[in-house]
Amino acid sequence: MRNSLVFYINDSPHEIGDHRAGWTLAEYLRNTCHLMATKVVCAEGDCGSCTVLVGRMQTNCDELVYQPLDSCIVFLFQLDRTHVVTVEGLMHGDQLSPVQQAMVDCHGSQCGFCTPGFVAALHGLVEQHHAQCNGEATLADEELRYGLSGNLCRCTGYSQILEAGKSISLAQVPRLAEQFDQRPLLDALRSLPAEPVHLRCNGTPEEELSEVFLPRQLAEAVRFKTEHPDAKVVAGATDIGVQRNHGKFSPRVILSLSDLVDFDAITLDEEDHLHIGAGATWSEVLANVGDRLPEVRQILRRFGSPQIRNLATIGGNIVNASPIADSLPLLYVLDAQLELIGPSGSRTVAVDQFYLGYKQLELAADELLAAIHFALPRNDERLKLYKVSKRRDLDISTATAGFWFRLDGDVIASARFAAGGVGPTVVRLPLAEAFVVGKPFDDATLREAGRVARTEVRPITDVRSDAAYRAQLVENLFAKAFFELSPELATV
Amino acid sequence: MTSVGRSLPHDSAQGHVTGEAHYVEDLPRYEGELWVDFVGAPITAGRITKLDLAEARNLPGVTAVLTHRDLPGVNHFGPIFADEPFLVEDQVQYLCQPVVVIAAESRAVARRARRLVRFVCEETKPLLTIEEALAANSFLGPDRRIERGHVAQSLADAPHTISGEFESGGQEQFYFESQASLAVPGEQGQIRVISSTQNPTETQAVVAEALGLRLHEVVCECKRMGGGFGGKETQSAIPAVMAALVALHTGRPARIVFSKHDDMLITGKRHACKTWYRVGFDDRGKILAASFDFVSNGGAFADLSTSVMERTMLHADNAYFLPTVSIRGRIARTNLPPNTAFRGFGGPQSVVVIENVLQEIAQTLGIDALDVRRINVYRDGDPDRNLTPYGQIVRDHVLAELFANLENSCDYRRRMKEISQFNAKSRTQVRGLALTAVKFGISFTTKFLNQGNALVNVYTDGSVQVSTGGTEMGQGLNTKIRQLVADEFGIGPEQVLLMSTSTEKNHNTSPTAASAGTDLNGAAAIAACQQIKERMADFAAELFADSQAGLVKAPDQVRFVEGHLWDLRIADPAHRIPFEAFCNQARRERVDLGARGFYATPGVDFNRETGRGNPFFYFTMGVAATEVVIDRFTGDLTLERVDLLMDVGQMINPGVDRGQVIGGLIQGIGWCTTEELRYDQTGRLLTTGPTTYKIPNVTDLPRTLNVAFLENPKHQVNVRLSKAVGEPPLLLGISAWAAVKHAMSQLNPDQIARLKLPATNEEILGCLTRLTADAGKDSPY
Repeated sequence: MRNSLVFYINDSPHEIGDHRAGWTLAEYLRNTCHLMATKVVCAEGDCGSCTVLVGRMQTNCDELVYQPLDSCIVFLFQLDRTHVVTVEGLMHGDQLSPVQQAMVDCHGSQCGFCTPGFVAALHGLVEQHHAQCNGEATLADEELRYGLSGNLCRCTGYSQILEAGKSISLAQVPRLAEQFDQRPLLDALRSLPAEPVHLRCNGTPEEELSEVFLPRQLAEAVRFKTEHPDAKVVAGATDIGVQRNHGKFSPRVILSLSDLVDFDAITLDEEDHLHIGAGATWSEVLANVGDRLPEVRQILRRFGSPQIRNLATIGGNIVNASPIADSLPLLYVLDAQLELIGPSGSRTVAVDQFYLGYKQLELAADELLAAIHFALPRNDERLKLYKVSKRRDLDISTATAGFWFRLDGDVIASARFAAGGVGPTVVRLPLAEAFVVGKPFDDATLREAGRVARTEVRPITDVRSDAAYRAQLVENLFAKAFFELSPELATV
Repeated sequence: MTSVGRSLPHDSAQGHVTGEAHYVEDLPRYEGELWVDFVGAPITAGRITKLDLAEARNLPGVTAVLTHRDLPGVNHFGPIFADEPFLVEDQVQYLCQPVVVIAAESRAVARRARRLVRFVCEETKPLLTIEEALAANSFLGPDRRIERGHVAQSLADAPHTISGEFESGGQEQFYFESQASLAVPGEQGQIRVISSTQNPTETQAVVAEALGLRLHEVVCECKRMGGGFGGKETQSAIPAVMAALVALHTGRPARIVFSKHDDMLITGKRHACKTWYRVGFDDRGKILAASFDFVSNGGAFADLSTSVMERTMLHADNAYFLPTVSIRGRIARTNLPPNTAFRGFGGPQSVVVIENVLQEIAQTLGIDALDVRRINVYRDGDPDRNLTPYGQIVRDHVLAELFANLENSCDYRRRMKEISQFNAKSRTQVRGLALTAVKFGISFTTKFLNQGNALVNVYTDGSVQVSTGGTEMGQGLNTKIRQLVADEFGIGPEQVLLMSTSTEKNHNTSPTAASAGTDLNGAAAIAACQQIKERMADFAAELFADSQAGLVKAPDQVRFVEGHLWDLRIADPAHRIPFEAFCNQARRERVDLGARGFYATPGVDFNRETGRGNPFFYFTMGVAATEVVIDRFTGDLTLERVDLLMDVGQMINPGVDRGQVIGGLIQGIGWCTTEELRYDQTGRLLTTGPTTYKIPNVTDLPRTLNVAFLENPKHQVNVRLSKAVGEPPLLLGISAWAAVKHAMSQLNPDQIARLKLPATNEEILGCLTRLTADAGKDSPY
């Protein structure tokens, strides 16, 4: 068993076996490496100023694939066997990279504080583009807007950043794999034996962390959790990274699932049942499911940001148990089954039975969420998903909703509705479901169902909105779903 | 080739993209440097009866735990009234108001020590809203008025009147670099403060006063800020004093950087404002009389609130002539952090009110709002329609042309027709379109601030250093001054460097604010260059003089062009002297190659007692048309298209100006739409980070954004005939709000929507629901 983390930052190898494993990458870059280009603004993964690129080995171990991440909320223990590239590493010797040059030429920076994050995110887009080899010479406007939606800028109003992005000649930007001599780097990372990493940190007056375990096999994870029921289980850390920066997360023992083999597997079987490993990131889910389920795609494209989707996992979203978790309305209305694994084997729980109260789960201290299973909608089924937030992208939902109908001609044969952000957990709306069954699928039915649903929810007033708005949304989204499923009726 | 007029990159752009450009937190650590943090009061209003610091002091790694008692100097400051304590003495005026300063060996220890300070407090009921302050008669500063004519009579005589209340919310500056300061103790009790501040002179002064030092014992420096937007005009003082206090007590360098959470929680913002208005107009929508009663939420201390309110009052007319008018301005004193400067400085709060009035006049008369605007706009050269309520002539402008050009280029009439047709048909969406204007007065309304000084050093290799009192916060000030100075000497911009702003080099300076950074500091730099050039020309003339050739010494014939000194009378280019060689030679002949320039804006003054004067040197103007689409079910707002047209004079750097215009526009749109400050019942701000406070994202940009500029040959003042550009475009974001208001009028023409600002999705849906209920429909869809 290895007792230290090994990773590269730009050209240098790093090995960490002490309490710093519990630092965020941004802290390590700034405090230990004195790489000051990476800026921390919010420490919440919500502005992208700290964006860096992280290369991970693919299953075949032949290459590193680089993705942008928010270094302010990614822990060092999530970076074993990776290659971190910061803005300092993106320079071509003492020359600016074409991305950097474009930002200079197009007035893409004003105060400059968010700029390194944008440079990293733009490089990430170019990398992604190279990986897809789609032959385009430049980045398209839509691709840029979507790809940069995880980076905020207060000065420029973004236009000149978009112009910089569009002016980059993709052929002139080398892949990171070419820019960095990958052979020795890959050799060094591959030479590490495929075994768990177990760090014993012996805390410091400032850090309580004493133990971090990174299993490679699910069985090892379960065994560790059984022996350490108080261990905090960490997947993508996009929520607890934030908690930690606010002083609300300082565990003694961490069980990190980011290195589990095949924990992110996504398969679609012959009966159109989807099986998703709990460790699959939202980027992976989006890549695998997006084309098949446009409705899911439009929701997932608004989940967090590109940086967040590269870290956050479906399992984390479920177990974190937020009443506004963006994935839950989908899972509720498709009646997803959660596969839990413990020392005595596995069991299955329906997702809407999984939440007992606010952040209370039907999950024992020695159990882990292993996988999620659900059937894709059939031809006679209709699915609509909604995320309502103050800002379209990079925002936490004010309310969410999911609608699933099975139609028998023009009549609703069966229905499942779910709403989030209107109570301590995501809820099904049984009265509204019962109301619509056997009724025609029309405007009047859905309007009335909305009114019924409104009586079933108990929203609160909080930082995101007043209770009244959420109640009104629940009512209105029924009609919205109807009109969007019947676009021919959307105009008079 | 001249530099002015070219889109040169920002002078720090290379540093921005590589991360080499350093901000306060990035500067290398000093040996023995301490991390500074603070503890704020746990109550919103009341008294601290007991403060127990023992536990915090005893934590290993804690070096000092200090309170107001440890300040050797004065504990009160304020740019206008010195009413604000640096550290609470016993009365608490807002939640988390700083009480205790902690110095520790590391950030983590300081953070931990914060939790060990114990308070015993007696709470009193806080005043949080404008209404509560009005009821309690709680105000900051005097009740001011600007009046012309008999408004009551004119309102009574007007064929139509409308009246209402308008509410606009506050706005967080959301500079990316939070407040930060590094204090380094020097010899004999002197201190150097490196601060992220728009106002080094004020920072020098407050640090000196708080520490009981003379001004010459304190130096304040600022290389750059990671954004300011007004939030670092006065409020950078508190962290500077905290760091300086620790440096003084420990003799060690000390650095403080607020977390974004703390920064948002305790620093002031744009003032929320409430306005009562009554306006009389004729059948064509021409305004006959208007009365505006503004009350802003000033927070707990005066800060800049009286100046901000002054600008609110001076912009109540915006681009429109008000024949008879009464403007009243008051500032509510509440228990929120003291509100402060934010780009626009009170202007947006009144401009949105009159733009709203114009929408409502249009709806009341059933005519197009653009026609109402055009009938009311100031007319250049027309003595009956060119005088502001405070008596300044609005001259040399192209407002009429701006309206006419944009109306055509954005295809306003056709789109307006299509929008009405769309709205009649769609059951799922409603659209709106509005074209609004801005006329923004340039100059500080406080006369003495309209000055600047600059230091120019020419070196013997022909390179030039320029230092001014202006600070660089991303707006491109240094780039523009670089271009101005390069042109003065006829050299390339790469030969000119702008140096860190420091009170050692430029003293008694004004904050970099009021959009006037380039106007003041650029003009001062040119004044310095001209002194040097005069000496150079005198010496060069000696070199060019040639009695054989019949050339007498003639300094007025010397020109600085393309890296050379020329004598206009000599045709042969071989006789031109390269600037570099000349500088070296000049030094050897004891010519002084350095100068300090000074500039004071001519002709500006304002009497706030009488509400009369010429507060502005000139106006920057523009118009914008925004089309919005609203989801009838959720209130979701999308910007479909924005067309913007401005007169910003002759641009010194079109690339920089374009960035200012678009950045300002989008910030204004943020204020109008998604940026909502939410507080709980105790006055605690809940939106203290980007997770909950939503500034615009790249995906919020309109699908189509057209930005253009209009030449104005009538504008013949200011440095190189440029105009200030920092603040004015922010007020064009109001077109987005007005477009939402227009969409509401389409939904129920008979009822004027009471739409607050920001028009969040929630606000819009509430409005939609009320309007349709009033129209007798059961839902907006």
